[in-house]
Amino acid sequence: MSLLEVRRLTKSFGGLKAVAGVDFRLDKGEIVGLIGPNGAGKTTLFNLISGYLTPDAGEIYFRGVSLIRQKPHEVCHLGVARTFQIVQPFPNLTTFENVMVGALNRASSFEEGRALALEILKSMKLFEKRQVLAKNLTISDRKRLEMARALATQPDLLLLDEVMAGLNPSEVEEMIRLIQRIRKQGVTLLIIEHVLKAIMSLSDRIVVLHHGEKIADGSPEIVSRDTGVIEAYLGDLLLS
Amino acid sequence: MGYLLTGLGSVVLIALPLFVGSYFVTILISILYYAYLSGCWNILGGYAGQLSLGHAAFFGIGAYTSSLLFMKWQISPWLSMWVGALLAMCFGLFMGSLSFRFGLRGFYFVLVTWAFAELLRLITLSLDVLGGPTGIFISYKTSPWQFQFSSKVPYYYIILGLVALELFISYKIEGSKLGFYLKAIRENELAAEGSGVPTTRYKLMAVVISAFLTALGGTFYAQYLRYMDPETTMGVSLSVEIMIRAMVGGSGTLIGPFVGSFILTPLSELSRTYFTKGGLEGLPLIIYGSVLILIVLFLPQGVGTWMMEKLAGYRNKS
Repeated sequence: MSLLEVRRLTKSFGGLKAVAGVDFRLDKGEIVGLIGPNGAGKTTLFNLISGYLTPDAGEIYFRGVSLIRQKPHEVCHLGVARTFQIVQPFPNLTTFENVMVGALNRASSFEEGRALALEILKSMKLFEKRQVLAKNLTISDRKRLEMARALATQPDLLLLDEVMAGLNPSEVEEMIRLIQRIRKQGVTLLIIEHVLKAIMSLSDRIVVLHHGEKIADGSPEIVSRDTGVIEAYLGDLLLS
Repeated sequence: MGYLLTGLGSVVLIALPLFVGSYFVTILISILYYAYLSGCWNILGGYAGQLSLGHAAFFGIGAYTSSLLFMKWQISPWLSMWVGALLAMCFGLFMGSLSFRFGLRGFYFVLVTWAFAELLRLITLSLDVLGGPTGIFISYKTSPWQFQFSSKVPYYYIILGLVALELFISYKIEGSKLGFYLKAIRENELAAEGSGVPTTRYKLMAVVISAFLTALGGTFYAQYLRYMDPETTMGVSLSVEIMIRAMVGGSGTLIGPFVGSFILTPLSELSRTYFTKGGLEGLPLIIYGSVLILIVLFLPQGVGTWMMEKLAGYRNKS
């Protein structure tokens, strides 16, 4: 059984089909890249999987359990965590308190949560900044904080939404290594990313969305040579 | 350093009635009673960030329930105050469920709380069985069993006890999962949901705790003044007074409401005493309002928070 199964997923806003009959699967341990021109429906797909939006049609199964009509906190409890395209920290809480909120998701006691939070802060290199208020962190630290908070919820599946955006090349390198480390710890990853270099080196498989439809699904080599994909990106370039 | 101050402060507060006159005790009771109510408000408005402009409703339910049960069936307020608290809790649950179910937050939630309090006030005003516009007078019995004392001093210690209770509860909440989750909801409700926080459930928890405790304060007030009417007990001005003390002192902090009451209550009491002669009746309100404006402009994080930051800075330097 796949870890995540999405079948004929559809979501419209008014007359616009943001996600149109998307099918794909994720197996445990994979890193799958989700790419597509702007407006392709990638973040909408994330919102549908994580429970922030309800689909108009289709199914989402996580470990055999339907995620449809589950609230975001219930989805998180089942083992799916996500980050946001524009970071959403708890601004007036410290770095530690931010991660602690995530840790309390699965921790069976307050003390266990605190130990887990501190451990994650250390592995994400945020331990020294644990007493700093989130609003006073740099953008790069805030992205790491968001990932740390998501990881603290002890997910089986982590949805990363453009975590590389706004990072300089060396920060991108660091993030790639971090994501590989996360996969080694047993977390499956679905990553939305525009930084092609990162996506190509990280992904086992790439799913391409365009105007809400899946137009390609395969290894990075195959997808990068797919004419439909090239046209979608070029077309986007020509129009803009 | 903080512990030292707390210990010293506690000793002073406990010993105070032995050294000061009755008028001073009266002022202190006022300060503490507002500190208590603001502290209760703070659990919902400060920690959870759900501003309520309708806390007078919970207060009024507490005051009216114990008083009506006493006047009609001679039930001791010591017992009926828990009934009032439970009723306030149910009222809060009802209001909260409706609001949160429909996703009302921020400003809209403020309006809903205000509306519910006004609803309650108007119902009480128009029903004679609840005392109507004349309100309720509690017969003078001076029996401790009926929560009445001839001297002010026992009232002082009761309200001091209530303040201690509220501080203890807030302290426990701060260091618990409940506290972390409430603060997360306040800071970013969307992100909190995605991090596994059942936001509606925890917001309702905050409403319930806050309402229950506030109602106990209502019974205290009823037994202290032995008079209540819809305007003073359920009116929006009481809700405002409760709210601003927490905000001036530092909403969402442990000592904020306490500090806020120590600043604003004496100000309003004393300016009312000294300026209500010879055409200066409006002056107390002007002073009061000016202080509020100054604090909002220069110390928006609250005076208590500012004090704690100064203390921490002092500690870091030495």
